[in-house]
Amino acid sequence: MTVVKTSLRNFFAHKGRMALSAVAVLLSVAFVCGTLVFTDTMNTTFDKLFAVTSSDVSVSPKDSEDEDDGAGTGRPASLPASVVEQVASVEGVEKAEGAVTSMSVTVVDADNKNMGSSTGAPTLAGNWTENDLRSMEITSGHAPRGPTEVMVDADTADKHDLKLGDELRTIAATGDIRAKIVGIASWKVTNPGAAVVYFDTETSQRALLGATGRFTQVSVTAEDGVSDARLKQDVAQALDGSYKIQTAKESADENRKDVGEFMDIIKYAMLGFAGIAFLVGIFLIINTFSMLVAQRTREIGLMRAIGSSRRQVNRSVLVEALLLGFVGSVLGVGAGVGIAIGLMKLMSMAGMSLSTDDLTVKTTTPVVGLILGVVVTVLAAYLPARRAGKVSPMAALRDAGTPADGRAGRVRGLIGLVLTGGGAAALYAAATADKASDGALMLGGGVVLSLIGFVVIGPLLAGGVVRVISAVLLRAFGPVGRMAERNALRNPRRTGATGAALMIGLALVACLSVVGSSMVASATSELDKSVGADFIVLSQQQPIVPQAEKAMEDSPGLAHVTHYKSVDATLTSPDGKTDDSGVTAADPTYAEDLRRTTTEGTLSAAYGKDAMSVGSDYAKKHGVHVGDTITVAFKGGETAKLKVAAITDDDTAIDQGARYLSIDTLRSYLPADRVPQNVIMFAKAEDGKQDAAYAALKKALDPYPQYQVRDQTDYKEELKDQIGQLLNMVYGLLALAIIVAVLGVVNTLALSVVERTREIGLLRAIGLSRRQLRRMIRMESVVIALFGALLGLGLGMGWGATAQRLLALEGLDVLDIPWATIGGVFVGSAFVGLFAALVPAFRAGRMNVLNAIATE
Amino acid sequence: MAVAARARQVVKAYGSGETRVVALDHVDVDIARGQFTAIMGPSGSGKSTLMHCLAGLDTVTSGQIYLDETEITGLKDKKLTQLRRDRIGFIFQAFNLLPTLNALENITLPMDIAGRKPDKAWLGRVVDTVGLSDRLKHRPTQLSGGQQQRVAVARALAARPEIIFGDEPTGNLDSRAGAEVLSFLRRSVDELGQTIVMVTHDPVAASYADRVLYLADGRIVDEMYKPTAEAVLDRMKDFDARGRTS
Repeated sequence: MTVVKTSLRNFFAHKGRMALSAVAVLLSVAFVCGTLVFTDTMNTTFDKLFAVTSSDVSVSPKDSEDEDDGAGTGRPASLPASVVEQVASVEGVEKAEGAVTSMSVTVVDADNKNMGSSTGAPTLAGNWTENDLRSMEITSGHAPRGPTEVMVDADTADKHDLKLGDELRTIAATGDIRAKIVGIASWKVTNPGAAVVYFDTETSQRALLGATGRFTQVSVTAEDGVSDARLKQDVAQALDGSYKIQTAKESADENRKDVGEFMDIIKYAMLGFAGIAFLVGIFLIINTFSMLVAQRTREIGLMRAIGSSRRQVNRSVLVEALLLGFVGSVLGVGAGVGIAIGLMKLMSMAGMSLSTDDLTVKTTTPVVGLILGVVVTVLAAYLPARRAGKVSPMAALRDAGTPADGRAGRVRGLIGLVLTGGGAAALYAAATADKASDGALMLGGGVVLSLIGFVVIGPLLAGGVVRVISAVLLRAFGPVGRMAERNALRNPRRTGATGAALMIGLALVACLSVVGSSMVASATSELDKSVGADFIVLSQQQPIVPQAEKAMEDSPGLAHVTHYKSVDATLTSPDGKTDDSGVTAADPTYAEDLRRTTTEGTLSAAYGKDAMSVGSDYAKKHGVHVGDTITVAFKGGETAKLKVAAITDDDTAIDQGARYLSIDTLRSYLPADRVPQNVIMFAKAEDGKQDAAYAALKKALDPYPQYQVRDQTDYKEELKDQIGQLLNMVYGLLALAIIVAVLGVVNTLALSVVERTREIGLLRAIGLSRRQLRRMIRMESVVIALFGALLGLGLGMGWGATAQRLLALEGLDVLDIPWATIGGVFVGSAFVGLFAALVPAFRAGRMNVLNAIATE
Repeated sequence: MAVAARARQVVKAYGSGETRVVALDHVDVDIARGQFTAIMGPSGSGKSTLMHCLAGLDTVTSGQIYLDETEITGLKDKKLTQLRRDRIGFIFQAFNLLPTLNALENITLPMDIAGRKPDKAWLGRVVDTVGLSDRLKHRPTQLSGGQQQRVAVARALAARPEIIFGDEPTGNLDSRAGAEVLSFLRRSVDELGQTIVMVTHDPVAASYADRVLYLADGRIVDEMYKPTAEAVLDRMKDFDARGRTS
């Protein structure tokens, strides 16, 4: 009982000193809880959406390409209208409606602006049915009637300021549909972002399926008292088994599964970053408790002298940690909900609509947050607590300050060296691995081992590194610089732990920046080396529709236009093995657009009739040579026997392992309506007309904002931007860990200032000005920060370079160290050090000289 | 005789109204240049406060304090800090040295802070005088208490301040080490012409001074020139007795 009482008193007596540790726990817990609440809320939103959009029972074609919903051909799989009547006559069916839905559309306004979501949510087009009334209601105008009328959802209308009477153009594989808005329908639940347009049934059948009398789905409503499962059975009996029949729950679950998988990726990625923040927070907590224990050595000695047992002392520190963890976590759980709401707002700004009405806080969320926060805090405080328990009663009589333990230093050094050595060996093994999969494991092991190794030997490195940094940096500041250096060196364990916290975040930043810029450099060099095409047309969501294809072909100044299609097919090699990774059908000009070296044969021959090429890895694996025959079963078409005319070298980053054949060959085995649309297109300008051709091509594709045309320079730029954006996102998430590390620097300085009160008083008495004093503390902070940065950047660049060596097997063959970024981070760290010292330096400067001297 | 520092009608009071405590009550005092002055008095008499005020470590409620011809009352913190750095030396009872600096660095610290080069010859003489030549590279933790105080004395002397203030400089030392330090202070006055003001409650320490000032209840109540330990002790017993009867 007394133990708890002393702990409580200590905790509240030193609440200021605990504050930053509490903030560290708070931030980490908040991030975990925020992630959980956010992803749960997203899932709730989708659950609600899918629950209202699913009919009691639905019937759809079995071979509907679930994954891409007809993205290949641009026409979703459909069933004949007769099925609707068949189902309607089943007993227990209240109503059966034929529905048409396609995701292979793009909707643009009169200015050719894309009305679709900017966040990757799909654009849907379909017919307006009674089933839609479950999820939507018409809030203005009326349902579409006739081929020139369209209805749009209210969210899209709001976002793009659409009104009744405005014209929308819907771009589908069968052509463009121009229609006036006659109605606007509002969602009854939150729709996270999909844009939806409705036509009447006939228009949508013609435009989206290319044929009347067909539907993509039959929505069945059950009569009262008939269960969905029961109805499903009855419907299945009435039909011949070639259809997929699902209850409302089944189709909602299927939809949810895709979203759920995506949300899980986001969740685990974010939790990973929260984990890093926790790791960094551990250093802060260890430092705080170590310093509190050191400052309290005499007090603890007294407790021991008057009869407290080691365990009681030990426990009293742990109880304080428990309190800290509890307070930090409780606040963190609250802040987590705030973070989730913030994230939702951020998503709304990015164009996704989410409603706080759906905010979902599961009971597990606060429980997980609390347990995590408390357990991590108590674990982190364990070492300092043990050290407190070891304080001898004699400490009460001695002056504060325990002598450094030389032996512990040697043991630590040895362990650290072994770990770092092991890490380095693993990294070396990863860099020289022959197979990416083996290397990845080695890389992971090497990263973890070298990180732990650096953390362990950090305090020993602190001596040397701090001296070097000081020699370069602090010389100019004379005695103030010297005192700052000595202060930083005073307690290497503390400096080491504080620097290590910063090291972790910066090592990841350095590693990713090296990998990212190597990716850009490798891709650029590969493009320079192998791409002969002047222009490339890419699509983000919808494959290239024939009308856009035509616009491109008609564009002036082009020497050639290359079509490129990915085709589902199963290959059987002469050794009898099958492989279903598909083939690439392209025009023969593709051989000019992408220069590939061959190990056997010539590539142009592969574009001949009934010929193809394979990659060298595949050829080696299956013993395939030029002249061999490969059986290719096209999905939805015939099976062909194609002659291998070329084997392409797989030592490349672009199109690695692709099997090429000509579009003509493809057409002779695949019915026209099953030939997939182009996923990408290339073009070459006539000599000397590059600029004019580029401008013309851009203009030709103006009506199709879903496609981007790029010349080589712009494409490289875009690639760089994309990787840059990705990196920035990751840096943003790492910022949390770095913020916690900066708090750690502030914490260390603040506690050091308190610890050195008398010294500061003495210095002020003998004439150190406030400004010099503040400078001294700032310098110490800068040195600690730079120590962490140097270790982190060094380690991170090592990891990055290893990863690049390993990924060279996958075509990442140029190592590019972004010195500007690395230098920027290093200099930035110095500023972080200055920033961290602001408050501690200010407080030190304000100390009353007399009180400082008088402090016992 | 030249005056190194003087106090005129100095009042130092804490709090206000009923809780007002007067630590210094209209004190007038002249500190003679080149002399060793001791300030004595019972606990709470205001002797430390007087020293802190004279040294520019503490502010006064009213009155003026002059260091040579400079009035230091009313100076801003920046000027005061400079004044302490350039014109005043300090020796505290304990914790005089920075643990991160070695003995020599501690000695030259005030000059380093000021950005001044120490006078080599003078520094050598000071170091020799306090007998630390072979201990200059040692850290404070490697020195005995007496040696640490001698380093503090050397630091105070090295910058050739106009005046050195000592706050019970031998309070934490045994009598032998204390005597050593005090004789250095004495010698620095005799041989180097240094002005020293020392607060002490030890009659033996006071006997090293040229002049002893007695403080009681914030007022200077007596003084004694050329004191001996016995005379100081007798005088103090006297005060104690009077204090008890009044």
